[in-house]
Amino acid sequence: MDLDLFLQFLTNGVVMGVFYALSALGLTLIFGLMRVVNFAHGEFYMLGGVTGWFVTSYLGLDFFSGLALVAVAMAAFGWLVDRFLIERVRGQGEEPGILLTIGLSIFLVNATLLVVGPAPMKVAGAVAEGPLFFGPIAVTKLRLIAVGVGIALIAGAHLIIRKTRLGAAMRATFQDPMAASLAGIRTGNVYAATFALGCTLAALSGMLLGSIYSAQASVGGLISLKSFVVVILGGMGSFAGAIAGGLLLGIAEAFWGGYVATGMVDVVGFVLVILILLFRPQGLFSIRAERA
Amino acid sequence: MKRLVLGSLLLAGVAAPLSAQAQDTIKIGMVEPLTGSVAYNGKSVVEGAKLAVEEMNAAGGILGKKIELVIEDGQCTPANSVNAVEKLVQKDKVAALVGAFCSSATAAIMPVAQKYKIPLVTGVSSQASLTEQGNPYFFRAAETDALMAKAFAKILANDLKLTKVAYIGVNDDWGRGGVEEFSRDLSALGAKSVLTEYFDHGTTDFFTLLTKLRAAKPDGVFVAAETQDGSILVKQIREMGLDAKVFGVGSWATADFINLTGSAAEGIHAAVPYASSMDAPRNQTFVKSYEAKYRIKPGKYGAAGYNALNITAQAIARAGNTDAEAIRAALYKTQYEAPNGVYRFTEKGQAYGFDAVLVRIEGGQPKVIASTPVDAPH
Repeated sequence: MDLDLFLQFLTNGVVMGVFYALSALGLTLIFGLMRVVNFAHGEFYMLGGVTGWFVTSYLGLDFFSGLALVAVAMAAFGWLVDRFLIERVRGQGEEPGILLTIGLSIFLVNATLLVVGPAPMKVAGAVAEGPLFFGPIAVTKLRLIAVGVGIALIAGAHLIIRKTRLGAAMRATFQDPMAASLAGIRTGNVYAATFALGCTLAALSGMLLGSIYSAQASVGGLISLKSFVVVILGGMGSFAGAIAGGLLLGIAEAFWGGYVATGMVDVVGFVLVILILLFRPQGLFSIRAERA
Repeated sequence: MKRLVLGSLLLAGVAAPLSAQAQDTIKIGMVEPLTGSVAYNGKSVVEGAKLAVEEMNAAGGILGKKIELVIEDGQCTPANSVNAVEKLVQKDKVAALVGAFCSSATAAIMPVAQKYKIPLVTGVSSQASLTEQGNPYFFRAAETDALMAKAFAKILANDLKLTKVAYIGVNDDWGRGGVEEFSRDLSALGAKSVLTEYFDHGTTDFFTLLTKLRAAKPDGVFVAAETQDGSILVKQIREMGLDAKVFGVGSWATADFINLTGSAAEGIHAAVPYASSMDAPRNQTFVKSYEAKYRIKPGKYGAAGYNALNITAQAIARAGNTDAEAIRAALYKTQYEAPNGVYRFTEKGQAYGFDAVLVRIEGGQPKVIASTPVDAPH
């Protein structure tokens, strides 16, 4: 019985961990490659959920076609945000970027509240809801699919950055923008593509998780907070770190909630952050290791 | 002579808009959460309130003036709600206040209302201690958890044949209050309490909590949660493959809750002060006009906003002016015929006399299975 409980907590923790990693990925990517601390990250996640609701409920698309459409739309949106907003503060240090994205997040929340209102929205899932048992462990098909899609997205983003010409251009631009542009890389486009990729990842996790929970206009703040916890745990800008940080947070929360109290579960992340900052301020995985 | 009358009429017509700058409306201030995890419920309160104002203004307003509703976002937090009240009193010079949804936020604005001597009516905040603070400007046109527990514990225990009950509540004064009151009354009736857990506002994943719930093997689960948290929680109870009977308090008897929760909502019980399916003639009129305006049936909070505004405005009308003491005196003499019964106030400002219902969700509709008037607490 106790083993059953333990296994269920572990499963819950791993599922949540993958969700956390996925929702933090866009944040760490944009920070790692562009040095922009994106405070509008949670709002991109929220927009993914809301547009996910729009394409599945209003346009009547099935989940995966909807996901593809949301990816395209949010990539275009991210591209435009970079070309019209982020570009104006590029190269001026981190503070203008922070102020810009904070402003953007406030604008996005209120614009969404104005258009669709504060009601929670239901994103139609890929499959029917209902329990699925593996021995004593209960999960749902929807969660398994979300974990699968999440892992695929994480792997896909990794491959884009590691194996494609675009990825090489991104890394080159990040290491030395001047040299990259001398070598013929259009750094403006590379920055925009990076921001679009980060924005798309956030939006896709928003739609994916919106199909399990619900999408809502003011969810962004909490998502940003958790994503920052994950990213600080793993190391700002580190890809592997985001995955490790996500899993660590998910599993720690599951066990704390399971064996101590669920009412204070949000404390866990912040205690972890304080411990990491005290003993290993560069995060579990330092960025240097990732860059090499 | 005729020309003179016509002339003075014309003059009056020209003069009226000029002289009527500040005093042509009676302002009522409203503080509700319009952002955050209960924003959706706060919006329902505002919708109900706007409908009430519209109806009264269509009937000529009060004291010969139109009512103007000034709405501020209190975000359900004490600090923001206090700021909102300061603004409503200082800048808008409202005659009365309605708000502030969450009990903690209401508790924070009560002393502010008292400081400025402005009557404050809440249609929502249900924590029992609010009316025990001796604040003469505070009136609660809502049920308390204790009153709900007292009204329905017996019916629930008998109808659902509860022997082992688990309690889950949102981690705030309302959730904790609901859990405490119901566990006390149900335990007294012989239903054993096997688990008590709280979760934070805006929580989306309850699998860990539900794993503990499954291990406790309850036959009934009491839940105190609002639309967003509650719908996800109830859905996940079924996703975990649990078939315990679910009952609770919160805005569950609404179309949105049922839509969000889907088939998992079937068969759950909710103790609510209002359901659109209550069969009083006044309620049918209310539901019809609410549905015509918002294309959705009113829920607990739509009705709460509607009632709170009507009670406040009618008190101002009876007071004959916007003097705070006169309004306060008039509020004590309230005998408001609501869609759900008749509201009166005790000398502590607690409403009683209105009906509360126990509903079961059947075929996507809240079906009233028991109805009882809420007695005055003693």
